This record gives sequence, C-alpha cells and structure tokens, in this order.
Amino acid sequence: MTSQNSNSKSHDISCADFQEQLPDLFASGSNGVPEDPDLVEHLKTCENCSALVRDLQYIADQASLLLQPTLEPSDNVWKRIQEGMDSDRIHADATRPK
Amino acid sequence: MEQQGLRMTETKPGPSLFKRNPPIAGEAEAIESAKAGDAEAFSKLYALHKRRVYTLCLRMLGNVSEAEDMTQEAFLHLFRKIGSFRGESAFSTWLHRLTVNLVLMHLRKKGLNLVSLEETINPSEDDAPKRDFGSRDPQLAGSVDRVALERAVASLPPGYRMVFILHDVEGFEHNEIATMLECSTGNSKSQLHKARLKLRELLRQPEQSIQQAGLKEAAQ
Repeated sequence: MTSQNSNSKSHDISCADFQEQLPDLFASGSNGVPEDPDLVEHLKTCENCSALVRDLQYIADQASLLLQPTLEPSDNVWKRIQEGMDSDRIHADATRPK
Repeated sequence: MEQQGLRMTETKPGPSLFKRNPPIAGEAEAIESAKAGDAEAFSKLYALHKRRVYTLCLRMLGNVSEAEDMTQEAFLHLFRKIGSFRGESAFSTWLHRLTVNLVLMHLRKKGLNLVSLEETINPSEDDAPKRDFGSRDPQLAGSVDRVALERAVASLPPGYRMVFILHDVEGFEHNEIATMLECSTGNSKSQLHKARLKLRELLRQPEQSIQQAGLKEAAQ
C-alpha cells in the first residue's frame, strides 16, 4: 500500500498536497493529469492517488449516462400547460387594442 | 434580458454543450413556427424536450410532484419567451438554463438561501467525503451502471448534487454555474470535486448503504 508517508520521499509532495490540487486539475480540462513535474512524479509513484484520479475521471465520464432521460412527466402536465397557454391567449385578446 | 428574476440571455456555450446537445431533426422548423404562434409546433417542442426537462427538475428537486409543477412552469415560460430565442446557443441549452433558473428561484422561495451557498448548502461533516490517504479498494472502472449512479447521485447532499448535475450531467461550465447559483467559480469547482469524491465513496459501498444514504437525504 502506498501511504502518505511513503510518498513524502518523492519530491516532497504528499497525498494531501496532491489531492489539494485536484479540483483545479480537473477544472482545467486535464482530467486530473498535472503538468507540474512534482505532481506528475507523485501521480506516477502513488498508487492511491492514481487510483483516485482514475475513479474520479470514470465518475465524470459515466455522468453522461444520465443525460438520456428515461422518465417522463404525467399527461396532466401537458393538460395544465395547455390550460395556461389558453389563459394567456384569452388575456392577450382581452387586452389587445380594438 | 431579465424577466421575473430569470436570466434569459443566451451566453456562448462551451464545446461540451454543442456535443451534448446536437440539433434535433425538425426542431428548428418547430421553433420558428412556435414563435409565430403555431400551437401544434409548440406541442412538438414539448414532445421533444419534456423528458429531459422533467428529469432535470426531478434530479434537482428529488420530488415527483414538484418536478411536474416546475416542468409545467418551464414550458409555460418557454411559451411566453420563445420569441426571444435567437439561436445563438443550442435550443435545449437555452431551455435547460431557463429551467434551472426557475428551479433555483423555486428553491430560494422555499427558503434555501443559495446566495450564501458556502454556508447553506455545504453538507455537514457526516455527509462530507472522507479524505483518501492510503486506503486501497477495488477500482470503480467498469463496475458502475446507470441505475447505481442515478441512485448514488440522488443520495448526495443538495449542494453537491446540484453542482454535479449542472456540470457533469448537463455540461454547464463553472462560470455559468457560479452565475446561476450566485457563488464563486472556486466554490463551484470545490463542490464538484467533493461531489465526485462522495459519489466514489457511495459507489464503493454495498448497495444497501446507498439506499440508506438516500433515505437520510430524503428525510432532510
């Protein structure tokens, strides 16, 4: 197991330091893959952090599974929308200058 | 343009939004006809978009009845404002932004103060993801299906869930989310990261634990 202590040998970057950078690394579009040589070295040598980056990227990728919806609203919703549209039209007709 | 607290401007979408919201056959014609008052064309737009709008509302609200009410509201707003759609972004992106703003307005009315997001929708210590220094567990890759992910997302604390849905599912950028939630971009990034960490934690647990987390969330 790779631990925080064992990683402190590599360029003084701990797991905590590495994980602190992750929100920005992911937001930068690099999918958690750093450019900073110290962070790259840590990622290469720390199994725990590399597994974390892999999992977080996997979760972000899998989120697209949720884009295609499987549920739909009941028929009542469309009925209520139609009633609302009818009411808008009646109001618009009544307020239109003759 | 701002109507009843809703931002209706079309901001330039990021590339992910074009990828996620490709044009739908017949949609452009239906939009133009609906703008001219064609009821049948509007009904076609409803048929094309009702599932995604409803699912978005349901995920954000976690309640069928409220989700149906907000779906109704979103399409009534669409009916009233479709004339202001200029086609500068994908129609679905525009419609979803309108829907998200309506849902957020609804949540604010209910008392969820999204203005000070940092204090109000950050989860308690119990709900926050655990820091991961040195634990070894099986990898997630290849092990998560749609149902498990849907269930895990539903059991996230509201602040995490909101940002995860807006960014990772809907494809909004952090600056857009920050505007919608009235928080900083840094806060949006941080909430998203915590949401993914929490999901990782939930997805590595046995299914029963996710269901319990969901029940706990529903009770709040």
